[in-house]
Amino acid sequence: MNNEQNKKLEDILGSLDGTKRAATPDFFYTRLKARMENGYEPAVTTKSWVLRPVYAITVFLLVLLINAAVIFNGRSQSADEASITETETLQSYAAEYRLNDSVTEELYK
Amino acid sequence: MNELELIQGLRDGNEAAFKYLVDNYQDRVFNTAIGIVQNAEDAEDVAQEVFIQVYRSIHSFKGESKLSTWLYRIATTRSLDLLRSRKSKKRFGFIQRLFGDGNEPLHELPDFNHPGVAMDRKENAAKLFKAIAQLPENQKMAFTLHKMEDLSYQEVSEVMQTSIAAVESLMHRAKQNLRKMLEKENT
Repeated sequence: MNNEQNKKLEDILGSLDGTKRAATPDFFYTRLKARMENGYEPAVTTKSWVLRPVYAITVFLLVLLINAAVIFNGRSQSADEASITETETLQSYAAEYRLNDSVTEELYK
Repeated sequence: MNELELIQGLRDGNEAAFKYLVDNYQDRVFNTAIGIVQNAEDAEDVAQEVFIQVYRSIHSFKGESKLSTWLYRIATTRSLDLLRSRKSKKRFGFIQRLFGDGNEPLHELPDFNHPGVAMDRKENAAKLFKAIAQLPENQKMAFTLHKMEDLSYQEVSEVMQTSIAAVESLMHRAKQNLRKMLEKENT
């Protein structure tokens, strides 16, 4: 960086030295009292952003996604359970009619 | 009216005490806010909110610090809250417009001219303010309180509830960052 550029930079950095304090606009107190009497609403509120469509739609999509995930999970679990129940029914049928190995062995004696 | 009498008057809900507080501290609060938010209307909004907060929560003020320190703390916090809200509005501005909720303009704010800056320095000061706006929050806070309000490092540390060494470090980093940003701008 050359001297001229350096000087320019120093001028910018020092441009706030000796700055006077900015004065509040006229009738500030009158407007302040009016705001206090008319019900105070802060400029930044949590309520304001929560109710915005962007957030509402995001929450809605999130709920939809969770619902879809729960339903999908539920289906695959019930399919597993169905195959287990089927096996159990066959086993109990075999047991009822003594279709196990020992019975078969006895028949061939 | 000394500070103790003023605090007692505020606690008693005395309107004369409140007017005295506003008359004596409004410029300090407004100047701090305008240095951070860089817009006169927003700064007035912030200043009003600061005095309303003081009026409502004076009972929670323990008097461990000076009243001015407490006011500066509220003013800087409120100003930074406004900047955060402005940033998030800008971030979601496009999507909000799609849903018909973004009436605010999407363009950048114009260059800020502080009313207290001398005429021959206005152009340079506008460049500096543009760079200050890009500083991290705590550096911006320390730099504004020290440069705009002429607070000592000791006073800045009390407002920010940190050590003097931490303020020195913040100021050093703020100056380094400003230098880098301005060098980049001028090349």
